[in-house]
Amino acid sequence: MKRFCTFFVLIIVASIIPVKALMAKETVVIYTSLENEEVVEYIKQAKVELPDLDIQAIRLSTGELGARMLAEKNNPQADCVWGWAVTNMEEFVPRKMIKPYKPEGWDKIPAHFKDPNGYWVAIDLYAAAFVINDKVLEQKKLPSPKGWNDLLNPAYKDMLIMPNPASSGTGFLQVASLLEMMDKDYKTKPVEDNLAWDFLKKLDENMGQYIKSGSKPAKLTAAGEYAVGCSFAFVYSSLKKKGFPVSMVLPEEGAGFELEANALLEGARHEAAAKKFLDWAISKSAMNGYAKFKLGVTYPGIQGPKDMPALETIKLAPMDFPWQSKNRVKILEVWSNLFLH
Amino acid sequence: MNSTQREDTSIDNYTVSSARMEFDKFIVPTVTIFILILLFFFMLFPLWMILKLSFFKGGELALANFTLSNFKQYFTTAYTLRSLWHSLYISAVTTGIVTVIIFFFAYALTRTTIAGKTFFRNIIMMPLVAPSIVQALALIYLFGRNGLITSHFFHTDWNIYGATGIIVSEVLYCLPHAFVILFTTLSAVDIRLDEAAESLGASPFKVFTRITLPSAKYGIISAAALTFNLTITDFGNPVVIGGNYSVLATEIYAQVTNLYRFDLGATISIILLVPSLGAFMLNYYISRKSFSMISGAARPFIPPTRRFKKILYSTFCYLVAFSIIMIFATVIIGSFVKTWPYDWSFTLQHYKFPSIGGYSAIWTSLWISLIVGIVGSFITLIAAYAMETRKPYFKQVVYFFSVMPAAIPGLVMGLGYILAFNKPYYWFYGTPWIIVINIVICNFTLGILSSVSNLKNIDSSIEEASISLGGDTLSTFFKIIFPLSRVAFIQNFTYFFMRSMTTISAVIFLVSASVHLAAIEIIMLDNDGWTASANAMCTCIIAIVFVMLGLLHLINKWAGGKTSKDVMATS
Repeated sequence: MKRFCTFFVLIIVASIIPVKALMAKETVVIYTSLENEEVVEYIKQAKVELPDLDIQAIRLSTGELGARMLAEKNNPQADCVWGWAVTNMEEFVPRKMIKPYKPEGWDKIPAHFKDPNGYWVAIDLYAAAFVINDKVLEQKKLPSPKGWNDLLNPAYKDMLIMPNPASSGTGFLQVASLLEMMDKDYKTKPVEDNLAWDFLKKLDENMGQYIKSGSKPAKLTAAGEYAVGCSFAFVYSSLKKKGFPVSMVLPEEGAGFELEANALLEGARHEAAAKKFLDWAISKSAMNGYAKFKLGVTYPGIQGPKDMPALETIKLAPMDFPWQSKNRVKILEVWSNLFLH
Repeated sequence: MNSTQREDTSIDNYTVSSARMEFDKFIVPTVTIFILILLFFFMLFPLWMILKLSFFKGGELALANFTLSNFKQYFTTAYTLRSLWHSLYISAVTTGIVTVIIFFFAYALTRTTIAGKTFFRNIIMMPLVAPSIVQALALIYLFGRNGLITSHFFHTDWNIYGATGIIVSEVLYCLPHAFVILFTTLSAVDIRLDEAAESLGASPFKVFTRITLPSAKYGIISAAALTFNLTITDFGNPVVIGGNYSVLATEIYAQVTNLYRFDLGATISIILLVPSLGAFMLNYYISRKSFSMISGAARPFIPPTRRFKKILYSTFCYLVAFSIIMIFATVIIGSFVKTWPYDWSFTLQHYKFPSIGGYSAIWTSLWISLIVGIVGSFITLIAAYAMETRKPYFKQVVYFFSVMPAAIPGLVMGLGYILAFNKPYYWFYGTPWIIVINIVICNFTLGILSSVSNLKNIDSSIEEASISLGGDTLSTFFKIIFPLSRVAFIQNFTYFFMRSMTTISAVIFLVSASVHLAAIEIIMLDNDGWTASANAMCTCIIAIVFVMLGLLHLINKWAGGKTSKDVMATS
């Protein structure tokens, strides 16, 4: 019996030791919504460039992250957020959950990519894009869409997939961009009367599925499950590199986009370490890392990936972040009522 | 459960030094109170927080804050209300299918002379070693829009997403749980009744409907109630294969994470608790009754089965076993091939997990599960000992609360933990310990039940001998009961370990930046479209659980004593 107990105790001790060994460093707890495949690379780089930090991070979707921060409001577990949608960030500023901090290198970031009071600073911009499976188009003899309006073609019935805006930031920016582009009076009208809902209802007839994550439409399309996946730009280039028969179209009406920003959290337990990390996160070297994936980074003079169109050549939708942020919940409620069944 | 109640004379009839008596009097109530506090604080308190948040504005307990507006909103909003109908529909259909399949499966294993019974018994238990998401992952690979069978063999556009997918995966997930109950029932019911009826000239059909079915009815109802409960509370399968088809469990998650509506999430939790508690109470009530049906004269002899019947049952059992094997084979093979179903070349690239957690998540899961296994089996054994052999006051109360966790959906418990313990003074929040506590509490029921039944098998005279020779409660427990319960201890350890490695719903709200868990990583990977890597993570968990099962088997042998024939069969 004793041998048997000792055995268990030994196993446990052996498994805890390596975890404890890491504790000597200065800990920083980071929440992020950056895509898993990119963030793994960035963290590798950060560990090299910030050797005295023990970086602990969790990656959750935009919505999950917000819910978690709200739940932990009175007992914050994280020190900073990294790469989180500005729309959601703006919602959290009035809740007094974000602490203003202007990281080192703040001046280098153009004014429209940061909050004037230092609540947040954006690191990149990611844009909505259609990822198209050329093979499926050819097999089913479908035309290639140029923009949102082309997707109403009945030929695409059940061949489209887009993210659920309630759970995915990508989905939200797509819907928000349509609401803002298709109704000039979006600011003054109640959300439910927006003209874009009629468009979305027609689009719904062709939609095969609304799915939880923003990158999954592209991946399922690449796997041949759908013809057109409403997703975002950088996921396309990683799929292309893997050899999937995909191409990318930025909607001609204007591509919705979102800024992803960093912020220090109120009540951070490791504030000094968090500041060190936030300084690094807008440094040129970090931005070079982001630029390997992102369509555009906010640090001037850094070009995005070579296989993607330059940011200046893209027609972007006029995104109204304060309005989106104020009406986010309302938009999602209207959307859920119309399209979830 | 209700074997003959032993008279509580074991202590009083022997002369023990008075100091020891005092000490004994102190120790049993202490253990009882400890268990009660544990369950109140870590089970009822989180539930209370959920109840408060759903009925009171802002969760502030005051008469003026009382409101039914959350419930009104739930029942008047079309898309949220749908999740209730969906859940009930899925659970009802699954319950029907599982009960029928498992009845005949257990019947074949207990009443016929088909070959390969051990094989079938081991296979049917297999779903226990994997997270309740493995079925959905495999079904998508086989019957998804681009599935091997649907799209590549039959070239059909039909696919399994939605209600069908959830039902099929839940059926496969619930099989082992229902099997354990019906197998026990059917092995215990006296088979001679059937023989007597047959020799009196009743047709086989009549014997089946008039004798076999009625004699197993409590087992059938109990298995059905358990299946209903498991299905309605499951989160893993619906979230993966449900598509736009929402059920209560996924709706709770969606309300909380998408709309930040913790109050509505709590409200839906309460709505989910109603059917799951109902099914649990039914099961609780039935299982107390059912054992009185079991005749002590039941005997294991089975007359040779007719050839046609044998072939029929064998085919049926092979079909069930084949479906389960296919699920596991698909996930494991899927993790090693380049691009399912286009490129079948072997690759290990999916084992380079594109996530922050990666292998550290597997590592964390492993050591958390070891701790859960030890803590869980030890606590349940002590609790069962205090309740069974020492009969403290409030035994019924303690017993009721100990078996109650099975009725509480994991997701509800997880949400309750956030609401209850996310305060600066609960130091364990955000550490691995909250996960350990959560998993131990969520799985308390089975630990208690198996410890209780095991303690009943220990001859009370041994314990009495120990006490009459001057042993006190503590030394009796550690020198007599604990070594004798080693088999039970290892079984419980196995059960807690497996649950801890595979549970999803209870801990999805509790993982943090420092604690990544392998089972949650599967959900995240699949969510991001890394299905092959999700399969790979699943395969890792399955492998670890199997290695642990083998190890425990060896330890059991090495430590001597009777080996539990099949550790899994009892969990």
